[in-house]
Amino acid sequence: MSEETKAPEATKATEETPEPVDPRIEKANGQLELVKSKVVAKFGEEVIEEALLAKFQPTLVIQNERWADVVEFLKVTDELGFVYPEAMAGTDHMAKGYFEVYLYLHSFVLDMDLAVKVRTGREEPSIPSVTHLFSGVNWEEREIFDLLGVPFTGHPDMRRIMLEDHWQGHPLRKDYVVKD
Amino acid sequence: MAEIRTEELLMNIGPQHPSTHGVLRVVVKVDGEIIRDVEPVVGYLHRGTEKLAEDLQYTQIIPYTDRMDYLASMINNHAIVNAVERAMDLQVPERAEHLRVIVVELNRIASHLVFLGTYLLDLGAMSPFLYAFANREKIIDMFNRISGARLTFNYMRVGGVKWDAPEGWVQDVLDFIAHLRKEMNMFHELVSGNEIFLERVKGVGIYDADTALNYGLSGINLRATGFNWDLRKNKPYSIYDRFDFNVIVGEKGDCYDRYVCHMSEIVESMKIVEQAAQQIPDGPVMGKVPKILRVPAGEYYSAVEGARGELGLYIVSEGKDKPYRMKWRRPSFVNLQILPKLLEGQTMSNLIAVLGAVDIVLGEVDA
Repeated sequence: MSEETKAPEATKATEETPEPVDPRIEKANGQLELVKSKVVAKFGEEVIEEALLAKFQPTLVIQNERWADVVEFLKVTDELGFVYPEAMAGTDHMAKGYFEVYLYLHSFVLDMDLAVKVRTGREEPSIPSVTHLFSGVNWEEREIFDLLGVPFTGHPDMRRIMLEDHWQGHPLRKDYVVKD
Repeated sequence: MAEIRTEELLMNIGPQHPSTHGVLRVVVKVDGEIIRDVEPVVGYLHRGTEKLAEDLQYTQIIPYTDRMDYLASMINNHAIVNAVERAMDLQVPERAEHLRVIVVELNRIASHLVFLGTYLLDLGAMSPFLYAFANREKIIDMFNRISGARLTFNYMRVGGVKWDAPEGWVQDVLDFIAHLRKEMNMFHELVSGNEIFLERVKGVGIYDADTALNYGLSGINLRATGFNWDLRKNKPYSIYDRFDFNVIVGEKGDCYDRYVCHMSEIVESMKIVEQAAQQIPDGPVMGKVPKILRVPAGEYYSAVEGARGELGLYIVSEGKDKPYRMKWRRPSFVNLQILPKLLEGQTMSNLIAVLGAVDIVLGEVDA
């Protein structure tokens, strides 16, 4: 009996007090909107395929064809200033049918990190290289090409880096068969 | 006088060469004594750690991280447990956080001592190597007592550390720091003013901060240019915000500055170890964590300040007990890319001086 009477009260209490917004999420949302608005103003809506928060991390998914242009814009625009490439990674989302490359940039002007991503189909994958913008991603792109099999167009030296040149297949692909 | 015929010569340094500190091949095109072109060839030590990690639970990955930067395994441990804890919002007990800071900073000291010893050995000075390794050995012994291993510690766990410090261990750490203070003075007397050494390293391998940022350099390779960037200060993690220490920066960005930064960072790390050892509270060393760790679906990037720079971890999770994708942002791998730029036009004798100062560990370059 007491259980029944208590239950409606509990739901009522949660309705009255609005859920407190995590200040970190609020801050990250502000940062995301700022960068997004600048990119949209320059390139238009369609260049951003997705804008999201990954936990507290502002993340943009960029259209494949405009990838290098957008990254260049992020780097050279004075009020954005994403000049420091911190990390780059490639992932095989086999079930979703695409490869995804992740680039983690830091801006000292805005004091924030930004994750930008680009996708390419699993059949005949290709992504524009950004090595001419950041010398530091040269080997990262080669590693992604080597282990994931995504060639970067415009890369000055698109060769395998970890495995031998005659290696068959790309180990980080989810359909790669490991031989004993 | 008859003209002497000259031609460019292609030379292989390594993969088996004492000064490459592991299996690195450097293909050098030389014109007499002048280097025209350099190509580092890596991958000899590639073990596919990232591929292996996809089939392992998060706790099972920790021993694999020991084998990447094998001179600073504690920091690798810290990178992965810190990344998983952040993704899962786990709390770590105070005592465990202090123990982590102590072992991580001790490992940073040990790693920098190896750098100093081997760097001077590469340049032809034998005795500093022996002094540096004698002190490193004391740190390794302390790690042996706390973790049971000398190099591949496998000490940290998600939510804490595996073992509490044995009786009297913390006091021994404090005694060792007092001892190392004196030794560092001796090291300075022995090396820092040595004219032959200064001739070899001053003004060699210079680059500026903009170049360093463009190449994605981190750690001492970035700070030596005068750029103040240390993840312990700039993106605080663990309990580093509680300790009083300075970020060491260089002036010119040459090999000498990188040497000085290593020396001074040892002193700063000693400060942190002392403070942590004095403040360490009693209590449990393992927090309440689920038996099987499941990182919530999503993607996460977090990094710690490694001995060689930003040691980052990118995790893509599907909410399972194993990562869908785990990428290590390895400072040695990124830092090594600048080598051809630094060596072009230099004399052959500078190759080892510059390569040594970039301070790479091949286990980390190749993962």
